[in-house]
Amino acid sequence: MKGFWGTPAGFGADLNVTVQLIMGLALIAGAFLARAKRYAAHGACMTAVLLLNLVPIAVVMLPSFAQLVLPRLASHLHKRYYAVAAVHGVLGSAAELLGLYVLLVAGTNLLPEAWRFKRWKLWMRLELALWMAVLLSGIGTYIVWYTPLLRR
Amino acid sequence: MKRHIRNACICAGLLGVVASAAIIHGTQIARAAEEKNASASITIDNFSFTPKEITVAAGTIVTWVNHDDVPHTVVNPDKKFRSKGLDTDDQFSFTFMDAGTYNYFCSVHPMMTGKITVK
Repeated sequence: MKGFWGTPAGFGADLNVTVQLIMGLALIAGAFLARAKRYAAHGACMTAVLLLNLVPIAVVMLPSFAQLVLPRLASHLHKRYYAVAAVHGVLGSAAELLGLYVLLVAGTNLLPEAWRFKRWKLWMRLELALWMAVLLSGIGTYIVWYTPLLRR
Repeated sequence: MKRHIRNACICAGLLGVVASAAIIHGTQIARAAEEKNASASITIDNFSFTPKEITVAAGTIVTWVNHDDVPHTVVNPDKKFRSKGLDTDDQFSFTFMDAGTYNYFCSVHPMMTGKITVK
């Protein structure tokens, strides 16, 4: 199915990049909720983004990575098509895993005391910064993969 | 004398039969070779298939060659053929044995479409 951004990308890729941009905005809004001391709303917003993001990861990004990048990654890492996707994959994995860890510490009592961090703001700001880096590398991946005119 | 003429006729007849068989067989081999060698090439460049539509004879081997700097695929929606991801200068070939119309597209960039008509 064709996409809707006017590039050669498919519907899944266009929907994914749109959802990611909305999620990025939602995370920024969530950070402002924390600054306004509306912690319940902040937690709900961040948790929703973090968990909803598992869907496009599983449905769009992982299958694309497995089919088009992983088989040739080792020998083609010097090519921007593979490099940008690899950087996005590494940063994205780190951001999602760190986010899940923050969620477990902040929102549950599942982890033992020794595994729980104390410096909340530091870890959450690190997670937000990492997520923004993932968003930028994702946009870069979209440009390299799907926009031949912009790459010239 | 009559016997010699008769034998000569029989020999000539046999030679004729053998020669005809050889010619027919040779023609069939040549035709088969010709059919076997029939091929067509489609270039993938700048996010498009060129030519976008081609008509080929049954038995033709069609080869797609990717000249883009990003991977593409060649996928028939009716699942008659499907390439893996083709990187720069990679090729994918498929032999079209049956007459018909075969649409295809790139699964990574679905705007890229093409059509092969087999007669």
